[in-house]
Amino acid sequence: MTGRFLSAADVPALLAGAEFFSTSAVEEGIEFAGVWLQDVLTHTGPVQLVAADELDPDTLCVAIGAMGSTVTMSELPPSGDEPEMITRSLADRLGSPPAAVMPLNAANVNALYPVAAAAVLGLPLIDCDGMGRVFPLIHQTTYELAGMSLTPLAIVSTGHDLTLLETSSTRAERIARSMARAAGGWLLCGMYPGPARRLREAAIHGSVSRVLDVGQVLCTYAPNGVHARELGDVAPWPTPSATPTRDPASDGRPPGPHAAHRLTTTPIERLLRALSEVTGAELVGGGRVMEVGPSVGQAVYPGNPIGTVVHDQDSGHLIRLEAYTELLLALTDGALTAAVPDLICMLDRGALRMTGPERLTVGDQVSVLRVPAAPVWHTAPGLALAGPRAFGYPLRHPCEEGR
Amino acid sequence: MKPAGQPRELTVDELVRYGPLSVAQILVGENLTRPVSQVALISELDQVRLCGPGTAIVLSGGLAHGAWTVESALRLAWERSAACLVSPSVAGLTQTTAQLARRMQLPVFVVDGDMAACTVKLAAAVASPEAARARLAAHCAELFTERSSVRGIVGVMNSEVPGVTVALVASDGHVLAGRASAVDGEHAVRVDVPGPEGHRWADLVASVAGPPSPTWSETVRLILRLARAPLAASVAKDRIRAVHDAERGRVALGAVLSAPDPGLGDGTSGHSPAAQDQGTEALVEGQFGWRVEGRHVAVFLRSNSTLATATAGPGVVSAWQETIGDLPLVPWETGWVSWWSGDHIDEQTTVTALRRVLAQMRSPVHLSGGVGRVAQGAQGLRESVSQAALAAAVTVRQGHGTVRSFDELGYQVMLAPLSQSDLVSSAHIILRDLLTAPDGMVLVTTLAALLDCSNSTSQAATRLGVHRNTVLGRVERIRARGVDLDHPDQRLGLHLACYAVLPDMP
Repeated sequence: MTGRFLSAADVPALLAGAEFFSTSAVEEGIEFAGVWLQDVLTHTGPVQLVAADELDPDTLCVAIGAMGSTVTMSELPPSGDEPEMITRSLADRLGSPPAAVMPLNAANVNALYPVAAAAVLGLPLIDCDGMGRVFPLIHQTTYELAGMSLTPLAIVSTGHDLTLLETSSTRAERIARSMARAAGGWLLCGMYPGPARRLREAAIHGSVSRVLDVGQVLCTYAPNGVHARELGDVAPWPTPSATPTRDPASDGRPPGPHAAHRLTTTPIERLLRALSEVTGAELVGGGRVMEVGPSVGQAVYPGNPIGTVVHDQDSGHLIRLEAYTELLLALTDGALTAAVPDLICMLDRGALRMTGPERLTVGDQVSVLRVPAAPVWHTAPGLALAGPRAFGYPLRHPCEEGR
Repeated sequence: MKPAGQPRELTVDELVRYGPLSVAQILVGENLTRPVSQVALISELDQVRLCGPGTAIVLSGGLAHGAWTVESALRLAWERSAACLVSPSVAGLTQTTAQLARRMQLPVFVVDGDMAACTVKLAAAVASPEAARARLAAHCAELFTERSSVRGIVGVMNSEVPGVTVALVASDGHVLAGRASAVDGEHAVRVDVPGPEGHRWADLVASVAGPPSPTWSETVRLILRLARAPLAASVAKDRIRAVHDAERGRVALGAVLSAPDPGLGDGTSGHSPAAQDQGTEALVEGQFGWRVEGRHVAVFLRSNSTLATATAGPGVVSAWQETIGDLPLVPWETGWVSWWSGDHIDEQTTVTALRRVLAQMRSPVHLSGGVGRVAQGAQGLRESVSQAALAAAVTVRQGHGTVRSFDELGYQVMLAPLSQSDLVSSAHIILRDLLTAPDGMVLVTTLAALLDCSNSTSQAATRLGVHRNTVLGRVERIRARGVDLDHPDQRLGLHLACYAVLPDMP
């Protein structure tokens, strides 16, 4: 056992980490879910975080995740009974109740709801997920790639409408989405039920811990954020005797993990380095936002395509970002430098917080980061399910070059 | 490398100027001199990777996914050294995309409408560059017919032929029309232009941008040759107008200068002489813009060659008008007449001004000038012209650009006829004994100086810049050749003979 427990004190870090892995979370705001989770954890006590390997291979596990609109979630928050309704429905169908909970994806509100579900159900939370970020469809998961079945899919609405779907993944997705619209905008789902042994191949391990670690880093550096106030015991700013100066050798890239001049780097450089250490993030570039506006997209998924252009003054490069709720493409001087399924995210260099196109105005200073997706996403089936072409972009992923 | 004789590829600039891209919106017009070897219609971005260098890449309408598509294609096109990128009209295509294209120095065009049709037109033009160039030549020829001036004809080539600067250069290197930079161009095409007489009058020089190409040079040469006949016609027209104007001017000046003196009228005519005079003056003032009334100083220009005076008339008048266009220059007898007018004009000012004008003029023949006295009205002008002509008859013997006034020369103007050839021949016969000496011209010069100085050897030595003993020695040699300096009857004839033999005296 890892011996790690998630308590109410971990919620700010969980929130910040959930924002890092989902640009839409930054834009829409998920603080309401944090408040709710803190309330739940205060009443139930901490949730045990376990690795999939630590469970009995036959342990029945179920993925928990919400689908639908985050905005309607804030207006119609969960009552707390939804996870129990889901497990009861699945237990009726499968003959035994789930003994562990795993996140559908550890990002956005779905980094928080599985914790709440585990808390109210009194089950351990498995330190893994099926996306490593946010994809728009609930079957765009590594569970799906590994052959686990999305169904039986138990879904419950804010009105406690309970449905159990047994069909193909694609049809289940469509039906559930129609139901979400009809039932108030969002649903909590229990899916991919299966024994823990299957998760060894099917899951992205350590996802929840990574969210927490990233959140801790962000909370440490965000000077005005709510999370920093709550943590409040770390001073991210340099002392007056160590005035921050730009390291010309860094050339805009985050310094390496063993950079010697810690006190001579700026907070943004230290934050980028710390994020790189935790997530393997690479700096695509950074600079002034030159343009934010509507773009042209394929009507594959709901949402509005937005184009953003960042001018990297140091290198002169123009970085164009294409977003469809999440950031999906980054082109540097027209060359594709980052693309879905890798995570692309933006850091506000002034506020030292994650940001997104809908929050930006021309003139803002941002850094653009690329976080490599789990290796399974870079396989041919992974790219077919969640690569650029799956989102309607007639492009090959950079990792496909030379194949 | 293209084999010799194969038509040279069209450039992007040519496609813009007279090809299918003339109707396209130019998003970025950098580096338009790239040659276009082929055209490719792209429906998937990956297809750009298959394009060779010099390809004009046309994005199909199906690729209009947004600015990112164009930028992505731009990048791939740049990596393949494409000639240009033609995009459909795409939402979100902004200055950011243009900025990227400028950095990559890749021309980008935006076309409304059917991209496939655009591709076909481009491909047709690229496949048959000679047809496009023939259209260019025909277009230029059509424009030549609409231009009547030399400047207009040369301007057609500068504005219509892409990547070429053209100048019309006189035989002495002077740029008559067009852009002077063409003369110093690295890759020049040169065609001689005949004048109205059929002889070479000037050169059309075209400077071609980029490395020389035989076929493109030939196209430029063809267009230059097409311009030759209109240029010759234009020059001939100018000459005819100049001759016509000169004749009109000569007649008008004759009328002004021959107007009867108001004081000599007999009172029998229906019109008084004064009234006739005023009528002539009003006529020339109205038709020629000449100022006849008021205070004048006449000037007279002469060439040392009678033949040059006859043939170079239009050139002299043209050069005069280029230099000082607001004053008339009228052919008159052995030279050309003009006059400065003004209430404060005087001879010295006029001498200075005329020297400056002669120094600046690009006259086809060498000119010298004489300046008359200040005069009033047409009658005074007649006298001032006569004085200027006498002064010019003296200065013409003193070389190009010499200007002196009638008063400055004084009685020396009487010596002007000494330049007549029969007088010069007579002088050479009279002074043959002296001239046959080894230092004949020195002796004649010394003799002239002695006669000028009333036989004072010291004054003559000072004037000649030699020692008095040298003068005395020369006098002995002069006397030894039978010349008697002291005989009063012979002195005037001897003195005139010296002046006739020595061309630069006085």
